[in-house]
Amino acid sequence: MALISPENLLRRPQPTQKCTLGCPVLDRCLGGGIPCNSMTELVAESASGKTQFCLQLALSAQLPPSRGGLSASSLYLHTEFPFPFRRLHQLRRAFCDRHSIGREFDPSDNVFVHAVHSADQLLDEMRKIESFLSERKPRFPVRVIVIDSIAALFRSEFDNTPFDLKRRSSLFFKISGKLKSLVDRFNVAVVVTNQVVDFMGDNGGMNGLRIGNLKYLYSSERRVCPALGLAWANCVNSRLFLSRNEEVIREENGSANAGNGDTLRRQTRRRIHVLFAPHLPESSTEFVIRREGVFGVDR
Amino acid sequence: MEVGRLPISASQRGKLIRAGYTTLSSLSSLSPSDLARELNVTNSEALEILKVASLNSRLDRTDGGHAIFNGAQTAWDMLHEEQLLRRITTSCADLDNILGGGINCKEVTEIGGVPGIGKTQLGIQLAVNVQIPVDLGGLGGKAVYIDTEGSFMVERALQIAEASVLDMVEYNDLLRKEHRKCQVNLKPNDLLESIYYFRICSYTEQMAVISYLDKFISAHKDVKIVIVDSVTFHFRQDFEDLALRTRLLSGMALKLMNLAKTYNLAVVIFNQVTTKYMEGSFQLALALGDSWSHSCTNRVILYWNGDDRYAFIDKSPSLRSASAPFSVTGKGIRNSASNHKRIKLM
Repeated sequence: MALISPENLLRRPQPTQKCTLGCPVLDRCLGGGIPCNSMTELVAESASGKTQFCLQLALSAQLPPSRGGLSASSLYLHTEFPFPFRRLHQLRRAFCDRHSIGREFDPSDNVFVHAVHSADQLLDEMRKIESFLSERKPRFPVRVIVIDSIAALFRSEFDNTPFDLKRRSSLFFKISGKLKSLVDRFNVAVVVTNQVVDFMGDNGGMNGLRIGNLKYLYSSERRVCPALGLAWANCVNSRLFLSRNEEVIREENGSANAGNGDTLRRQTRRRIHVLFAPHLPESSTEFVIRREGVFGVDR
Repeated sequence: MEVGRLPISASQRGKLIRAGYTTLSSLSSLSPSDLARELNVTNSEALEILKVASLNSRLDRTDGGHAIFNGAQTAWDMLHEEQLLRRITTSCADLDNILGGGINCKEVTEIGGVPGIGKTQLGIQLAVNVQIPVDLGGLGGKAVYIDTEGSFMVERALQIAEASVLDMVEYNDLLRKEHRKCQVNLKPNDLLESIYYFRICSYTEQMAVISYLDKFISAHKDVKIVIVDSVTFHFRQDFEDLALRTRLLSGMALKLMNLAKTYNLAVVIFNQVTTKYMEGSFQLALALGDSWSHSCTNRVILYWNGDDRYAFIDKSPSLRSASAPFSVTGKGIRNSASNHKRIKLM
């Protein structure tokens, strides 16, 4: 390893490159997409679309910079099983159609999938990831790392004792420290997903602690807050929150006999919120999940 | 007779006294050629006498003056000097108010708060505001930004710089009405050029850069603020030996304090918050422990109150504890929009 002197750490800050999410409305909400050289966290309860976002990002990263991508492949570390291969293939087909990619190029060739079973394993993998990143051919370097989900690693293995909690938070800082130095060396965009816990009110212990703007943190008519607590919140650069709320919509059938003719339809409304980010104001955008992927709704 | 004590030859001393030079101060404003003519000696001899005299008068002053050591000052002088010091505005009048006008030079100010409260935003704002020209009440200096977390974003800095330039132009127009003319030539990109940015990926790098700053700033004397965002991140990673961590941290704090004093600049360090077990319940406290809390001159805590952001002076030798709301807007740090009950003094 080359010797680094403090002088070399001085640099001109470069404008941050962004990787498109594959939808102009979502990109606008995020100021161009997921920032490189930064750690972005996606927080949501289950079935909100975290994995959908990640899969779509893994594909869109391969687009050339002229279309908002990075011309790069991605590394997908999954901790929840099984990996949604079928969904990836479905998205790939839609992706190829949308960008008129021929048969000679298969985007799923450039998504590397790796399973991680425990937090300690993830820390050990960092070394392998580092050599993997540096050995990749320059044509499609790995510029996106997804960890889906970080919460699954930490929510089962550790007891609620002071000793284990201390070990847990020191692991948070180790993992994010390693990740951030990788991110900086290879100019990678990192996305980690996190789960939520129910918000227990101000007296219910530390999860009443306010991080970011709480007022958006409603999902399924419950007040929630991101899992893994304060220590982890210090480890990420940006935090995005996906909410889903069931809504009953009354649809008229078009006939004159009102009342009976109306049908009640339940619809899930999903929104993506920016909770905190160094470069973005607090904001939110509605989105839908379709067969072809995740799309923002322009209103 | 002062001249009598000068270590020069007796004949020279005699000539000096005969010509009427008895005190050292009477020699102080004389040129060698004048003295040579009056004493009827060679130029080089006169130069020698003046050298000896000026050396002695300098020694004299330190003996007879109020300062015992070289560089020591009385509190009166220091107060005077402090009143002349300019402060770095935070662009939020309420926050400036409780800080006594802004961030002070020669001091280490620690700012802590939960993620998303606006620490990095405040850091970028200060890095821009330190560059406000002297004519407009600023310091006209440059900034060193040490980024340990990777949260510094150029596009955001540019946004804040653009807003700041607009504000300066507006303020300048107001000044001009009072017949004081000065031109705002700054462009947002120039403001970014004047932020020296260090990206740190481990605690060793952090120690190295902070030790190197002394050399760096002596070469770049116009640096007026050093921002460390955050001091905490790498020190929460792998420290089994907490005593070592405390030693490293206090060494670093000393270096920062020295920088602040020597180069007359402001040091702002950001800290994270953690939970601390006190009296049977968990309380929020700034990270890095108790001994670290001694290492800063001022301590400001940022917190949420309802939907508003507030800043609270937790520790300061000269400011009363008070809190004030602030908000983070597209333009940067500004006054809180909801302006009822602005400043609360405790």
